[in-house]
Amino acid sequence: MTSIFDRIPDSIFRLCSFLVIVILFTMILFPLYFMVTTSFKFEGEIYSELTWIPREPTLSNFRDVIVNFRIPLYLRNTLIVALSTTAIVVVISVLAAYALTRLRFPGRAVMARGVLFVYLIPGSLMLIPMYLIIVKLGLKDTFPGLIIANMSFSVPFCTWLMIGYMRSISSEIEEASLIDGCTRIQSLWHIVIPLSIPAIVTASIFIFNNVWNEFIFALVIAQDDNRRMISVGLSNFYRSDFYMVGPMMAGSLIAMTPVVILYILAQRYVVSGLSAGAVKG
Amino acid sequence: MSQETLSSPILTRSSPPKKKASLFAGDVRLGWLLVTPALLVVVGMVGYPFVEAIRISFTDRMVGRGPGRWVGLANYEYILGWPDFTNMVIRTVLITIAAVLLKTLVGLILAAALNQDFRGRNVLRGIFMLPWILPTYIIVLVWRWIFDGQTGLLNQILVSWGVLSENYPFLAQRGSAVVLLIFVMVWKGYPFYALTFLAGMQTISAELYDAAKVDGAGRIGRFRYITLPGLRQVMGVVILLSTIWTMNSLEIPMLLTGGGPSNATEVFPLLTYHLAMQNFRLGEGAALPIMMLPIIALLVLTVAGYMDKEATE
Repeated sequence: MTSIFDRIPDSIFRLCSFLVIVILFTMILFPLYFMVTTSFKFEGEIYSELTWIPREPTLSNFRDVIVNFRIPLYLRNTLIVALSTTAIVVVISVLAAYALTRLRFPGRAVMARGVLFVYLIPGSLMLIPMYLIIVKLGLKDTFPGLIIANMSFSVPFCTWLMIGYMRSISSEIEEASLIDGCTRIQSLWHIVIPLSIPAIVTASIFIFNNVWNEFIFALVIAQDDNRRMISVGLSNFYRSDFYMVGPMMAGSLIAMTPVVILYILAQRYVVSGLSAGAVKG
Repeated sequence: MSQETLSSPILTRSSPPKKKASLFAGDVRLGWLLVTPALLVVVGMVGYPFVEAIRISFTDRMVGRGPGRWVGLANYEYILGWPDFTNMVIRTVLITIAAVLLKTLVGLILAAALNQDFRGRNVLRGIFMLPWILPTYIIVLVWRWIFDGQTGLLNQILVSWGVLSENYPFLAQRGSAVVLLIFVMVWKGYPFYALTFLAGMQTISAELYDAAKVDGAGRIGRFRYITLPGLRQVMGVVILLSTIWTMNSLEIPMLLTGGGPSNATEVFPLLTYHLAMQNFRLGEGAALPIMMLPIIALLVLTVAGYMDKEATE
């Protein structure tokens, strides 16, 4: 089973893997580096020549997106939708997951499995149906419309994540509390929810991020400028005929800041979500 | 709801006469009560729209023009009879396969490289996660600017280094547009692969490797007979999940190339969007995803089987 690879000394092998890491690392940072530096450059410098460091660093792009474009409004809209969706979805999903893991009633096994199927249905399949329903309900260009659309994929995901977590919590403590006369609701509130906090935090982060980063449904459902989401607002810098790289990079930097901060604060929760397949990419 | 109503005599009588069983007496009613909101969302916002979409795919409904007339299979026939339809399916499948294979390969290489002890590994792992956590639309917009044919960064770099004598329209040439679409998909996707593979590799016991070394297994042998089998389950789930998401990725082709040049990157989800939201032909836009349903359903059923087994184990 030996091969030519085994004649390579360990040191060379380590060097190779080091090189692989360096190359991939550079590829990761390359667009991000230029996004950040470009947002501090004047228009003329961006289009005329390649500069690795802004010649005269300026905040004019940031002033531009805040004053001349409606980025603050889009950010506010996105924040409203993201926070509302997260709060509603967490409540609905925790209740459902509790029932599906702890309560004994007919149909729960089928429903627990159904949750996973629904979570796996890709968004492109649901785009047109969802659009039609939102229009039918008269919720186009409204926050409730955006919240409902986001709920439709967040509820199955969050419920599935909570089911997985609640299954791992031993039911002995809870049963003891029931024998002591607690009602189910009391034991959910005082025992199961406190024990599920890590999963609730993980799920909340993923839901908030998904709504914050969502583009397609936001594009279709909120076409009115007053209800526009940040993802659509920023991509419009490109969709129009002439495009403004500086403001777009500055706006992108602003839009990704909450996501990055959230990620840094909650890295260990995010990592635990990895194993739950909490990703679309 | 009080304790009394929960343990009503009718329900307790039907359950086995154990002391423990009475604890679960009220579960049926409470269970349905707690599940109802989630059920409403799933049935109302996923199930019903889906059934409705199937119905609309048999009509000639257009945006803002009332309910439309029943046209039977006309939308399906129209799409099937369209000269570029076969090309579109082949294109979607090939782009998906290429992107998933490359993500797997690069992800595996990075995971193997990171699966060693060195200082700063955790920081590095955190930075490698960036493509995965950052909004897709921002990543695509930045790459699109980099590849732009007029003022793009890549052209500026290549021209200033003398590699190109004049700007090259990367996204306006069929070949390079497809390659760059796959590139952006891979760039965005492989870190997730690498980090899940890495997590999987770290659960493989070091003793196995030591034993294999004693038996004279080389690097390739150890990778082939220990690492890969140990990763099989993780790799199966990741690859299948990612195949579903990649095949249905609408954001990346829409924002990077918009399907162009001359349909070279017009994949199935993007075509759905163009039919329904740009041509306003909702009937056709609803019919296309339904035609792709067999492939998607097969993938979803397979991966759900995998994940369900993993979750209950």
